[in-house]
Amino acid sequence: MAVSRLPPAALSLKQFLQRQKVLGVYRDLLRSIRKIPIESDRRYLRDWAREEFKRNKSETDQDVIRMMITQAHNHLEDLRRSLALARC
Amino acid sequence: MEDSVSRMRSGSLVHCGSGLRNMAARIIARCVRSLNHRAVCFNSINTAATLTAAPLTHGRTFSQLTNGHKSPLAQISGSSFQVFQWRQYGDLPPLTLETIHDRVLYVLKLYDKITPEKLQATSHFMKDLGLDSLDQVEIIMAMEDEFGFEIPDADAEKLMTPQEIVQYIADKKDVYE
Repeated sequence: MAVSRLPPAALSLKQFLQRQKVLGVYRDLLRSIRKIPIESDRRYLRDWAREEFKRNKSETDQDVIRMMITQAHNHLEDLRRSLALARC
Repeated sequence: MEDSVSRMRSGSLVHCGSGLRNMAARIIARCVRSLNHRAVCFNSINTAATLTAAPLTHGRTFSQLTNGHKSPLAQISGSSFQVFQWRQYGDLPPLTLETIHDRVLYVLKLYDKITPEKLQATSHFMKDLGLDSLDQVEIIMAMEDEFGFEIPDADAEKLMTPQEIVQYIADKKDVYE
């Protein structure tokens, strides 16, 4: 009988990869927010991003997490496009 | 009700930016002063020119010295008042392990979720300080802002104690001791 040597709290591979995706999109979001020229907007968006991610931190359903990652990516793309437009 | 993450980032950026600027300004001023001394002592052969050149260089600007501007009194007295070109570079003061360590701890102390009393060089973010991975991402971003270079994702997720961060930055910036 194969006994798992991993601790019970260890994530499965899929969960681990998803966690990495979430952290990656959070980091990309913070990096894009850093480029915003106006200080008050930057602060507001940083607070907003922090709140959103912290609020959904305890979610465990993989499909819901996947949906939220997609939403975050959409927000990120919007932000990047707005920044590109604002720069010209 | 201000967010202190942004205060930390903007505050540390402003502080460190102005601190570095002050440091750079002080170093440049020191170089200029030593340059004035050296230019007066080594370059003039005639002692009379030395005495006359000293109060003159006081009023002369650094750029005039480097551009080989001959003071009228030196020309009149006929001494060869040599001025040679100095190269000027602009760069930040060099990093040492200790300054990196101090700056890393300073940024961490400004972070609102860390109590400064519990902070040590070897305190693990997740196990000792009770932070989560999102906070760790924010901390690494703050370090990127502080030291001015990007840390890739693969390396960033492995940095879990202040000591590791100091070691990583020292590796990336070629700081030996």
